[in-house]
Amino acid sequence: MVMADFFTIFMFFVLAGLAIGSALALVAQRNPLYSAISLIGVFIALAGLYLTLAAPFIAAVQIIVYAGAIMVLVVFVIMLLNVEEEVRQPLRLRFLVPVAVLLAAVLFAEAAFIFFFVNEPAGTNNVAAAINAAGTGLTRNIGIGLFTTYLLPFEITSILLLMALVGALTLSRRAMVRPHELVVPGAQVLPMHMVDPTRVGDATPVKADTTAEAAALSGLFDRAHERE
Amino acid sequence: MDWLNNTLGPTVTHGLFQLIGISVAFVGVLMIVAYTVLAERRILGFIQGRVGPNRAGPGGVLQPFADLLKFIFKEEIIPDKSTRFIYVLAPIIAITTALMPIIVYPFGPEIHIPFTNIAFPLVVARFDVALLYVLAITSIGVYGIALAGWSSNNKYSLMGGLRSAAQLISYELSLGLSLVGVVLLSSTLDLYSIVEQQSGWFGLQWNIFKLPAPQLLGFIIYMISAIAETNRVPFDLPEAETELVAGFHTEYSALKFALFFMAEYVNMFTVSMLATTLFLGGWNGPGVATFPILGIFYFLGKIIFFLFLYIWLRGTLPRFRFDQLMNFGWKFLLPVAILNLIVTATIVFFFAT
Repeated sequence: MVMADFFTIFMFFVLAGLAIGSALALVAQRNPLYSAISLIGVFIALAGLYLTLAAPFIAAVQIIVYAGAIMVLVVFVIMLLNVEEEVRQPLRLRFLVPVAVLLAAVLFAEAAFIFFFVNEPAGTNNVAAAINAAGTGLTRNIGIGLFTTYLLPFEITSILLLMALVGALTLSRRAMVRPHELVVPGAQVLPMHMVDPTRVGDATPVKADTTAEAAALSGLFDRAHERE
Repeated sequence: MDWLNNTLGPTVTHGLFQLIGISVAFVGVLMIVAYTVLAERRILGFIQGRVGPNRAGPGGVLQPFADLLKFIFKEEIIPDKSTRFIYVLAPIIAITTALMPIIVYPFGPEIHIPFTNIAFPLVVARFDVALLYVLAITSIGVYGIALAGWSSNNKYSLMGGLRSAAQLISYELSLGLSLVGVVLLSSTLDLYSIVEQQSGWFGLQWNIFKLPAPQLLGFIIYMISAIAETNRVPFDLPEAETELVAGFHTEYSALKFALFFMAEYVNMFTVSMLATTLFLGGWNGPGVATFPILGIFYFLGKIIFFLFLYIWLRGTLPRFRFDQLMNFGWKFLLPVAILNLIVTATIVFFFAT
């Protein structure tokens, strides 16, 4: 076997082992932060696998986008929400275990089928060399394809991402505090025009704006306006 | 070289040369970083009207070794309630991601060793997506700081870590966008090719002067983003000494703190290298065509200029408040970077065809 082939196969096994091991750690860990780090390990292993398949651009973008941005978001959320370690609980849905075994057997059968029965054309044992000859994974070719043949999916995906961004912003907006109003610490400010407490079924009507009461109680602002 | 090829095979020979290159680059970077620390303390002392450390060795040149010995002999304190695995992992991530990008920077042009027929370019690894590799490693570097802040089990560290991570991911955007102008001018992501295309014309082909689209604005945006990315003054609120004790590395002692400290200076060195490579022409300078070995000196000279600029800024400017920092990054720097990209793309489109 040529040195390069041996190295490719060796790297494949190392990276695949890393990916599978990290994925198992991801599922089996109780501490959510360890799971997040295992997922980062999975993405890095996948990027390595893309490299062995002569797709350097995809490998770099995988690290930049997945491991470097999306997982940072997940890690932020875990840190901010202070998600606790899971406590081991007894398994309640016991019927799922044979279903899982069955599905795993199906997956394994599919992989074995592809491995044994799908024929490659002769002479393409070295995948990287074949793809390199076609030049598909190079940045230039990806750019040309993305901006000429696949321009419409590209633009639609950008609009999709913009929608997600605007949606997240809208959902997390707090009530706008207008500058001429006073903001008193301890007052309750509800978002305007969103919830009318008197129209909810069995909720007791609450006074929506407690600024004046809080101001009077605290005595900080003796010139608080009445706003009712 | 030929007998090496014949005995060991081309792959192993190539690997051997790369290993030698990595070792040389690694040792070189660590030495330069150690003396950058000393230079910073001396220059800050000069700016602030005092003398820096000058006791260890003549003029203080043995100070970095004294510091290293001190760090090695300090007591390793691990906080009781911290998650130990992440506590130890964080400085490892920080220093590894700081050191990894140095393999793609071209230190000099193709060098011919006299009396043999060995010729090689002075770059350890030359591949197609070198610039994306650098950006990818920068993205991973965020974890070192965020995980350090979390695993110390200390509110001040957590705040410092989260603030720093937010700052890093905000300024990564303008960093990446300011580099796309250079990529448009050079139409390649390979750093060696980018430097090669900046040779000639007595320095007027450097990317900040290069017609049709001089990247001066891109350079300024890159410098500001780079200072923010390395957590230096004026963007160093996450490790501010007066506000957060020491920020995300409060609870780190001895060698782990030394790793963070080194990681910051190696990051400074790395972003200076990137600025030199992309905007100031890398190893180009007078006389490089005839004496290629001069390329290394020009490269290091430009990097030292940037390091001096960093230290100068540290001694001069006050610190940004965190909301000012985020406002500046998102509301000013990012739109200006996009503007630079649009203008460069338009000019390149109309002039390069």
